[in-house]
Amino acid sequence: MPEAHVSDRIEVDAKTQNLAKVREFLHGAIKRSSLPATDVNKVVLAVDEAVANIIQHGYAGRDDGKIEVQIDADHARFTIKVLDSGLSYDTAKGAGANADLDLKAHINAGSKRGLGLFIMRKVMDEVHYSSREGQQNTLTLVKYIKPPA
Amino acid sequence: MREFEINLEPLSPEVTLIHVAGWLDAHTFEYMEQAVNNLFGEGKVRIAIDLSQVEYISSAGAGVFIGSLATAHERGGNIVLMNPTEPVKEVFDMLGLSQVFTFAQTKPAAVAALKAGK
Repeated sequence: MPEAHVSDRIEVDAKTQNLAKVREFLHGAIKRSSLPATDVNKVVLAVDEAVANIIQHGYAGRDDGKIEVQIDADHARFTIKVLDSGLSYDTAKGAGANADLDLKAHINAGSKRGLGLFIMRKVMDEVHYSSREGQQNTLTLVKYIKPPA
Repeated sequence: MREFEINLEPLSPEVTLIHVAGWLDAHTFEYMEQAVNNLFGEGKVRIAIDLSQVEYISSAGAGVFIGSLATAHERGGNIVLMNPTEPVKEVFDMLGLSQVFTFAQTKPAAVAALKAGK
């Protein structure tokens, strides 16, 4: 039986070898939640893309960064917050943020830029970003379990 | 679980098959990129990639295929993908890659597709 409310968090060093650890954490939290099986891979992929972007761009050139992933899910929404203190990068506005990105032209040109952001926006129902100068960046990803009334 | 593994198998003097297993993410994609670039460096531009043991792929992994396909085409070669798993197919469909790549189910079919040119 899924739990009525799932709340959990993990903090990892901003290193790509920790991506597998974050995915494993997510799978564990998702199993306890009401998220349908058809959405499991999508949510794990979106968070993996978010964390990878922070490691590669937010903490580019630094090896002392931390990333926190927080889960908060109920019967209606599966919400993930990804927090970091690296360079801010507005995921909602960056390359690939536009769902109408001309993927075919992009791919034919051999370009890989923005694919992670494209995936995040494609698979999640809500993507929000907030950043305060010199403080924490927060990326919020939401997948609806039941559409909002 | 295997994190990531790559093995090369020559299928003909011109065609090389890369067997990939495990997770192809932002941590492991560089190994994949290196394997393909090594083949390009040897002048081998007709490459089949067996995806039947890839359990997970993110955009970093997919990006390797996108870049490799562009380079192979520039050099008169091609990349043929073999038997992607469901999670891989899902990401390829999402990114429109399923329409861009040639797929083959068997080694002879991959060799035939690669010999036919791009």
